Amino acid sequence: MNFKEHVLMELRAEIVARNEARRRRVRRRLFTGAALAGLAAVAAVAAPLLTGSETPAYAVTKNTDGTITLKINELRDPAQVEQDLKDLGVTADVSYVKPGTRCAPDRGESDSGPSFTKEELQSKDPAVRKRIKDAIANSPNAKALKIGHGEVRIDPHYIKAGQTAVMEFTENADQTSGPEKPRALWQFSGYLVTGPVAPCRIIDDPSWDQLPDPKKHPEAYPPAGS
Amino acid sequence: MRRRQADIATDPDAFEAFYRRHVDAITSFLARRVPDPHTVADLVAEVFLAVLDSAHTYRPGRGSEIAWLYGVARNTLSAERRRAFKETRLAGKVGGRRPLDSDDLAELEARIDAESLARRALKAMAGLPDGDRAMLELVVIDQLTVSEAAAALGIRQGAARARLHRARRTLRDVPEMAAFVLGGTR
Repeated sequence: MNFKEHVLMELRAEIVARNEARRRRVRRRLFTGAALAGLAAVAAVAAPLLTGSETPAYAVTKNTDGTITLKINELRDPAQVEQDLKDLGVTADVSYVKPGTRCAPDRGESDSGPSFTKEELQSKDPAVRKRIKDAIANSPNAKALKIGHGEVRIDPHYIKAGQTAVMEFTENADQTSGPEKPRALWQFSGYLVTGPVAPCRIIDDPSWDQLPDPKKHPEAYPPAGS
Repeated sequence: MRRRQADIATDPDAFEAFYRRHVDAITSFLARRVPDPHTVADLVAEVFLAVLDSAHTYRPGRGSEIAWLYGVARNTLSAERRRAFKETRLAGKVGGRRPLDSDDLAELEARIDAESLARRALKAMAGLPDGDRAMLELVVIDQLTVSEAAAALGIRQGAARARLHRARRTLRDVPEMAAFVLGGTR
């Protein structure tokens, strides 16, 4: 192989490794809780969102597989996030809303996601739980907007022409959380809207920071320091 | 532009485009200064690795991409020369030497050969004060404009012109410099 191509490969690998290391350093963990609330992807986070003034408000990274990673560090400048995503070919509508509120869910034509009966949702049967989990993971919304490791991964392959990636972020003013005082530190919800998108109409959401029961969902409570 | 430049450190595709734009110029830049194909190949990797470290220092207002990159290349080269032992910083690089196939060797040797006049001229310039020599190198040997060279070295244009003028005057009658236009200003 030509040494220039070889060097290029090494350096591409180096960039990916550095991005990984940076991601690990930030050590923010998202978990899915209350994910069945109608919207495809809702996540609350039990680790601080703000890591310090030196971190940029957000970072948009294009990955080699064509997906885009959006990492939000601080809730400001949604217009710039939208512009940066647009530069990468994704139409997005980003809203930052105050804790205790959310956008009314009537923003446009969207896939309501898989639906389940109350019995299914409350079932303890691992097979049923897995079926629910898989159905959610395979919904168009979840395929286009994946949450995990403190960031949103946008897959343009699953966003059709004329669709907008609608993303709503909420951040708790109180960024302390622990076993004694579990709370949602921030919440993300994302879904696709086909056609026009209505502006975010703020409505009250008193239950926004309710976390899943720690006994039933231990995965929602990462160990301290993570 | 500023944002795009920072992206080359985090976005592999943006980096690849940047690399392909400049890898030949950097290879020649190094071939003018180092007569060994293996070392040139290693230094190409080191220079672009340094690009990842210093992408945030690029300011589009202060000169072209290539001027900035030559500045990075100069710093890398002098760091390499100072370094007592060579540490391997890149994963996947075996024993500090990357294998070169016969095509690579032929290409690099041809390049090194083509730059022999430049190398001789650089040797003749060795006695100049560092700052003056750096300006002369970048303008006469590497063909940057005065303002690009000033940007690469991080100095003001007035200072750059003064250094260049001094260096040209000193070497006016040196035979090794005959192949390079020392008179006139660009």
